[in-house]
Order: sequence, then C-alpha cells, then structure tokens
Amino acid sequence: MHNFIYSLRILFKNKILIFWTFAFPILLGTFFYMAFSNIEDSEKLDRISIAIVENEAFENRQIVKEAFEALSDEEGLFNTIYVEEKKEAERCLANDEIIGYLFVEEEPKIVVKTSGINQTILKATMEEILQMESIIQVKIEKRMQESLEQGIAFDLTQDFFKQMAMDIRNAFEEEVSIKDISSSHLSYTMIEFYTLIAMACLYGGILGMTSINQILPNMSHTGKRISISPASKGKLILSSVCASFVTQLLGIFLLFLYTIFVLKVDYGNKFPFIILLAFVGSLAGLSLGIFIATCLKANDNLKTSVIIAVTMLGCFLSGMMGITMKYVIDKNVPILNKLNPASMITDGFYSLYYYDTFDRFYMNVGSLLLFALLLIGFSMYQLRRQTYDRI
Amino acid sequence: MQKTIEVKNLTKKYKTKKAVDHLSFSVLEGEILGLLGPNGSGKSTTINCILSLLHFDEGKITIFGKEMKPNAYTIKKEIGVVFQEVAVFDELTVIDNIDYFCGLYIKDKKIRKDYVMDAIKLVGLEEFTKYYPKQLSGGLLRRLNIACGISHKPKLIFFDEPTVAVDPQSRNNILDGIKTLREEGATIIYTTHYMEEVEQLCDRIIILDKGKVIASGTIDELKALSSIEEKISVEGIVLEKERIEEIRKWEYVEAVRYENSILVVTYKKGKNNLTDLMDYFREKKIEYNKIFSERPTLNDVFLELTGKELRDSYA
Amino acid sequence: MTVFKTFLKVLNKNKFIVILYSVILVFFGFSNMQTKEENTNFVSSKPDLFLMNEDEEVGLTKHFIEYLDKNTNIKNIEKDQIDDALFYRDINYIIYIPKNFRQDLLNGKSPEIQVKSTGDYQASFAQLLLEKYIKVASIYQKMGFSEEEIIEQMNKTFDHKVNIEITSTLDTDRLENVVFYYNFLSYSMLAGCVYIVCLLLSSFKNEKIRKRTIISSMNDRKYNRILLFSNGLFALFLWLCYVVLSFVLLGDILLSTHGLLIVFNSFLFTICALTIAFVIGTIVSNKNAINGIVNVVALGSSFLCGAFVPMEWLPKFVLDIAHLLPSYWYIKTNELVKTIEKINIDTIRPILQNMGMLIVFIILMILITNFISHKKNRRN
Repeated sequence: MHNFIYSLRILFKNKILIFWTFAFPILLGTFFYMAFSNIEDSEKLDRISIAIVENEAFENRQIVKEAFEALSDEEGLFNTIYVEEKKEAERCLANDEIIGYLFVEEEPKIVVKTSGINQTILKATMEEILQMESIIQVKIEKRMQESLEQGIAFDLTQDFFKQMAMDIRNAFEEEVSIKDISSSHLSYTMIEFYTLIAMACLYGGILGMTSINQILPNMSHTGKRISISPASKGKLILSSVCASFVTQLLGIFLLFLYTIFVLKVDYGNKFPFIILLAFVGSLAGLSLGIFIATCLKANDNLKTSVIIAVTMLGCFLSGMMGITMKYVIDKNVPILNKLNPASMITDGFYSLYYYDTFDRFYMNVGSLLLFALLLIGFSMYQLRRQTYDRI
Repeated sequence: MQKTIEVKNLTKKYKTKKAVDHLSFSVLEGEILGLLGPNGSGKSTTINCILSLLHFDEGKITIFGKEMKPNAYTIKKEIGVVFQEVAVFDELTVIDNIDYFCGLYIKDKKIRKDYVMDAIKLVGLEEFTKYYPKQLSGGLLRRLNIACGISHKPKLIFFDEPTVAVDPQSRNNILDGIKTLREEGATIIYTTHYMEEVEQLCDRIIILDKGKVIASGTIDELKALSSIEEKISVEGIVLEKERIEEIRKWEYVEAVRYENSILVVTYKKGKNNLTDLMDYFREKKIEYNKIFSERPTLNDVFLELTGKELRDSYA
Repeated sequence: MTVFKTFLKVLNKNKFIVILYSVILVFFGFSNMQTKEENTNFVSSKPDLFLMNEDEEVGLTKHFIEYLDKNTNIKNIEKDQIDDALFYRDINYIIYIPKNFRQDLLNGKSPEIQVKSTGDYQASFAQLLLEKYIKVASIYQKMGFSEEEIIEQMNKTFDHKVNIEITSTLDTDRLENVVFYYNFLSYSMLAGCVYIVCLLLSSFKNEKIRKRTIISSMNDRKYNRILLFSNGLFALFLWLCYVVLSFVLLGDILLSTHGLLIVFNSFLFTICALTIAFVIGTIVSNKNAINGIVNVVALGSSFLCGAFVPMEWLPKFVLDIAHLLPSYWYIKTNELVKTIEKINIDTIRPILQNMGMLIVFIILMILITNFISHKKNRRN
C-alpha cells in the first residue's frame, strides 16, 4: 500500500508521462474531430450546380425542359442556372462554378471538365430523360398500331401528348418499394476515435514500464536502493503495476468523457461491454509496457520510443491515418491484425458499434486477454530473477 | 569482537574479465572500515555483491553470522546503503523521498515519522523538507541521498563515495553524520578516494587493486608498510637537471620528482633532511617560495603499493 | 569535420525514427496507387455493389443482373464480410433480390427490395439505377408487353445515350496520386525532419556540452555554421530521398511542368520544416518533451491542413485556423497545381503567392530562432 500510493504520486508528477497518456490522446482526438467532422456530410448528395444554355433548340425539347425544371426546384437534385450563350456556360465551367452544362443542338450534349460522380449523375439524369422520351415514343407507336388494328383513326392531339407525358412522368416519380435495412451505425469516422482509444490504452504501457523500471536495480538507481530493502519484490512489482494501471484507467476514463461529451463520439449503447473492452485494452497496453520494460535492455528513453513506435505502427495498421487501412489489412493479411493489439481494441469497439451480435466482440476481448497474459507471463519469468550479472 | 561481515573467496567475472578476484576480508562490529582503491578496482562491484544485487561466480558472504541471499529479508532490514549515484525520485519532495524509502523497511507510521525527522536532522536538511531534488544543490542532494539510505536506523551501513564533488560545508556535515551514526552503534563500510577523509574517519583500511586486497590494517600499520619516512616539498623553485641528479644521489633519498616548479623529495630515513636541503639551496644560491616537511600520507603508501595515484589529479 | 562526424553519429543512433516515418509515407503513397490508365475521355463513375440474388437467374431477373453489371461494379466478397465491406466503403450498396422478383414485375406488382446503403454519393447513384430499372420495367409491363418484349424494349430504351464532352486534357488521375503523395510528405517531413533536427540540436546544445564547445578552440560562429550546414544537409538529403521515392512510385509525370512545380514546392516546404525545427530546437532542450511537441506539431498541421483528409472536406473554421500554418500553404499549392490547365502568368500567380507565404514563414522562423537564442545567450 505504501509503495502503491507513492507510485501513484510519482507517476502523476511525471509531466512527460502524463502528457503522453492523458493530454496527447485528447489533443489528437480534437484534431480528428476537426478534420473528420465534415467528411461524412460532404459525402452525402449535395445539390449539383449545372448550367443550361437556353437556346431555341432547348426550348423545343418540351420534355427535357420540363424535366429539368422539375429537377431544379427547391428539393431537386440540381442547382441550375440558365444562360443565354454558350460562352457564358463555358466561363462558369472554367471557374468551377458549375460541374457541367447542357447544350442542345440537334441532340442534347453535356460538357464537363473531368470525370466524376457528380458528372456521372448529370449524365445519368440526362439519359433518363432521353429514355423517358423514348418510352413515350414507344407508347405512341404502340397506340397507333393498336388503332390501326382496330381500324380507328388515331389522331395525335396536343392534349393526348401532354397526358401521355404526364403518365410517364408520374410513373417515374412513383415510389419504388425499397427497404433500407442497413445498420444506423455506419459512421466510419468513428473508427478514428476507436483507434484513438486503442492508442491511449497502449500508451498506458509507458506508465507500466516507468513504474517497473523504478524498482528494478538494473534499470535505475532508485531500483537499486529499493531492491536492497527487505520489502518483497513480488509485492513491490504488484503494487507499482497496480498504481500504473489505475493511472492508466483514469486517463482512459477522461478520454471517454471527453470524446463522448465534447466530441460526440458514438460508442453504441452497450455500456458494460465498452467498459470491459477499455479495461482489457488497458491491460494489454500495460502488459506491453511491462514486457518492454523487462525484456528490452536499453535506457528509459529508448524504451519509451519503442512503445510509442509500436503503438503508432499498430494504430496505423488499424486505421488511424486512413480508415480503410484496417479493412485492407483484414482482407489481405488478416494475421497481421490478429497479432496487433491496437487492431483488436479498435475492432472490439467497431463490433460493438456496428454489429448486433457479440461473437466478434468476445473474440477480440479473448485475444486481447491472451495477448496480455502471454506478455505478462513472459515478463514474470524474466522478473523472477533476483540477482543480476551486471547493473 | 564479532564479525559483522565476512567475505570469503569472492570472485566476480564480467565476461572473461575478473572484476573481483578471490577476495576475502571481514568487517568487525562497530568499526568504520575504509575501502580504498583506484577507479575500476572493484569497490562498487564488491559492495553490490555483498548486497546480493549482483550474482557472483565464487565465494561466500555472511552478514550477522547468516548467509546473505536476495531474499534474506531479516538481514536486509538491518542494512542501509548510500550509493555513489543519487538515487532519489525527482517527482517527490525531500521528506517524501525519505519517507518512501523508510517505508520499505518500517511499516509503523508513527515510528517512521520520527525516524524520518531524525534522518533529516542528521544530514541537516531541516530547511529543505518541501523542496524537490531538482531544486537542491549538489551537496544538499548528496545529503538527501544519505538520508534516504540511513533513515531506517540500520546496524550496517555502506557508503559508496558519498562525498564525490561535494562542497566542503556539506562534506563536513556528511562526515560528522557518519561519526554520529557510528556512535549510535552502526558498523560502517566506507569507500572513497579522499585520503583526508579516510585518515579522519576510518578505524581500519583495506586497499583494493584489480579486485584483490593488496594491504589492510589501521592507518598507522599501513604507513609502517611504507619505506618512506619523510617527504619534503619545495614550491616555486627553478632547478636544472644536474641539480636534480645531484640530489637523487644523496643518502636516504628514495625518489625525486620535479614538476611545474615543485620539487618533492622523499627520504627513507628522517634525520636533518630539511636543514640539509636548505643548506644546499643556500650554497647554490637557488631561490624558492616555500619549503615544508611532512610525514608520508596514505596516498604515498598507495602510490608505492600500486604505482597509481588514488585520484586522477588533485582538485 | 569533427562536428559533422559527431552529427552523423547522433543521426545514426536515431535512424529508426526516420525510417519509420519514411516507411509510413511509402506505404501510404503505395496504397493509394491503384494504377489507373491514362485517360482524357469521360468515364462514368460506377458504384461498388454487392448482389444477393434469391430469385432464379432467368428472364427479367437475369436481365436485371446484366443491367447492374453494366452500370456498376459488382464485387465478389465473402458473405460474412459484406457488412465490414459496407462499413469501410469497399462497397456502397447491397441489393437483396427477393425470391419473387421476376414474378412480381411480370404481375405488375412492385417487388419489395431490401438494400443496405452507405448513404453517400455512390450509394445514391446505385439507388437511382435500381429505381430506374423497376420503373421502366413496370411502365412496359403496364403497356401489356410480354417478358421478352419488355426486355427488348428496355434494351432499346437504355441504349439512349447522351453525348458528353470533356474539356480538360489534364491527366488528373496521375496528378491526383502525385498530390496525394506530396501532401502526405508534409507529415513525414515535419515529423521526421523536425524530430531529428531537434534531437541533434538538443544534443549539441545540451548545457554542459555547450559550455565545453564555447571554451574549446573552435570558433563559435564556425561551430554554429557547421551545425546549420549539417542539419540543412540532412534535411536536403531526406527531401532528395523522398523525391527519388516519388519518381520510383509515380513515374515520369513528375517531370512535367506540373510535377516540377510540386517538387519545387516540397523543396520550399523542406526548408520551412527545417526552420521550424530550429525554432523548436532552440526553445526546448528536454529530449523527452521534443517527442511530444513534434508529434503534436506534425499531426496537428497534417490534420488541420489537409495532408490526411482532403482540404475540400475540412470544415471552414478548421481551414481558417490552418491559414496560420505553413503546411496549409504548401498543400494549397499542390491542390492548385492539380487543377491548373495551362500554366501561364495568370494561373501561376496564386501559386507564387502561396510559395511566397512559405518564404515568409521561413523568414519568420529564422527571425524567431535568432531572437530566442539571442535572449538565451544573454541570460546565460
């Protein structure tokens, strides 16, 4: 208990440690928030700005004209400006005010600057209108044929034509019964924040490493002093590790609070499981720290660098610097992410958020536990030693 | 008297190099034993072996009559160590540092509080209890280092060069503290390469070189080992080579050294040497600033025994 | 020479970090490099789709699948991975064709179709395609055509294509890759270069070593100049490595005027990164703190200025803040170069302005460094 309390105090006093485990994840989270808050909105279909050259040929294409009018109203797909001259439209295109313009000569023509999804939508819409025209054509032909067979004179009045066009348009506007059964939790930027939690968990290892180093005689002067005391080594290690674990959990807890209430990150609603995962994840981080502290013969700085590098690499592979990275790895080199604790943590959160079943979640928690136990076990084997060859 | 520590045949190898070579000695209860030796002679290694920090290749170490092992907690309880390096937590204040290390030995909070205060008084850090180690000067830091090592009132204390690079005021404070500890009944092992400290402090001295004991005994015993009886130093003198050769040929002269206008002549027997030398200078009309005669110091003994200076240079 | 040699030794001890950042850069550059063919023709975007067909693949159902195949990329994915694929936008849309799809259409009923969608552009487009098919099919069905006739009429209808003309002659895809790589380079450069230079500076400016060098016979000015030169050389070397790497990864497009502009821009940025490193190196001497500061500076600049996330996706307030960072001007230049059709005085002006901003930053950083070190020296 004595050692536990002092270990806590020592950890909290270490500004650099506190920076990495407390402040850095929060800072990074804020960066994520700033950078990603718009991504998904910007992926939604915005109104597409286009121009139409209002020449005589366009005025004559009744159906095209009406269709674009309908599509350019308040809720329409397009934000359309009508220009008198082709040159004006060209100018707008050059200045990126519009993505393309419609110019009707004999046949309608679309002019765009580059390929792209908006341009494709413009093209598809135009084609749909042309196809509508063709359907009307088919219908008229069929009607004429029927009239001919029945021996009735068929006469194409303006009204009939209009009625026909209306029918087809209505048919086009009719709702098709499509049922969207996708999960409501589709916000993939959440992965960023999950990797962030993973990072914070693993950085917690630095805490574990520091507190272990302080009591090992071959790592620090204080360690020498401690190990000549009659305090049992096992108890010392346990209490120091506990102190760093508590500190780490506190950091994770703060990060959760910050991301939930300030950055509005959605962790889904299975709260006990989230806590379980954060706990196991922190344990994995701790075990990594202890492992590196005991098994790597190097100074403190290098060890910290190694933990940071391992963590960053793990987070990179689990999608911190590019969300799809994790998917790419999962698909092509699944073994890599099965060994990567950052990915296990991220995937655990993801499975809680996105899936309704728990199989995948338990799988992740299980492998994290295994990871932690293996590393701790190995470290214990190293720590059992009481005397050293060299100090 | 009882033997507090007994080291028999201790051998420690770093790869193939022997750092400690079949070393045997013992420490008697209540004495201050000085462990002397040049850099790399195996002093710290010996201490680390006694403390079971290092494992050694051969030999046996008994403390208070029992074999020392890493888990010999009853023995460890009675040992205090002041390491050469300052081993304190930068993150804790002076008082917290002492309390932390004391707490590793003493569970009872009340007793511990008194002990911590005693230790602070002993090293004279009363005014600095709330300071952090970074705010302390080198000397004060050393004192804190000592307080951390002895706060639990051990019966056996190791001091590993506690006064390296310490200002005179702090050094005196430290030395006084060590004497007080001995008066309170502790056995002390003291390693250093400051001669004056050893002469002032130690009852018995062991001289180590290359991991072996090359001499041991009280100061007087050691000095008796030396063939020198008198040493005369002359400062601010200009001498030609022939003069030095002349002096070297005199009877009883053991050695002559001349460097940076300082002449040091050592004699095997001390009889009218000083007057002889002064007469010689007067006759030859050689001028000098200062001349003095002294009994050989431990350093001279050491020089004779090992062919090395204890310290790399005099500060 | 001794100073320079020591410099190399310190560098050698820290090479791991530099390699790490470089590997990340290459990894990123490579992962984005789905070698697209050179094209200046219009290519329709095709949403990525996954199909679950529970109906028999005959008649209208077969035709529907063919239709989708023509207009979308139907992906082949393991069934248990489709949810992941949707989440990570590997596919945009999943269509479950129900058992009675064909019968419903032929009976004039609208079949109920289940879908999963990412809700982005591509998914909306996929939905548009799906709806169109069902509408057109039901219009023809209502006209009383038989199944074969419906299919025939639909093929005719869908044959109506629109003429599309593309004005840009720029090879945007490959330039896109170049810009992506070079934007990301700003991170690697900031992180790697600043970290190393700060570390070296702090090693050399460590108070005790500093004192030792001051009392040594080496001229202080000369000493500083050698240090500056060594650091500059290191930055230059790193830059050169990255440029060579980009040639390997991206090819000869870098030799075009556009490419060379971007390369030159990255050179300016390298110098800027170097000066930033000097500022940080002069302020901070604690090696542990440097690691933290470098991470915050590099990641912050990269996130806020669009090195990781394309600039056009960043919220406006973030971009406003980003104006204060050199990375912003660097990345902005790259983005501008990408869109410029022909390089002439008019189009190059904004680029020169951005580069000017970088130079302003460089000068500013040098001034700050001088100011701080001057103050520090006096205090000592």
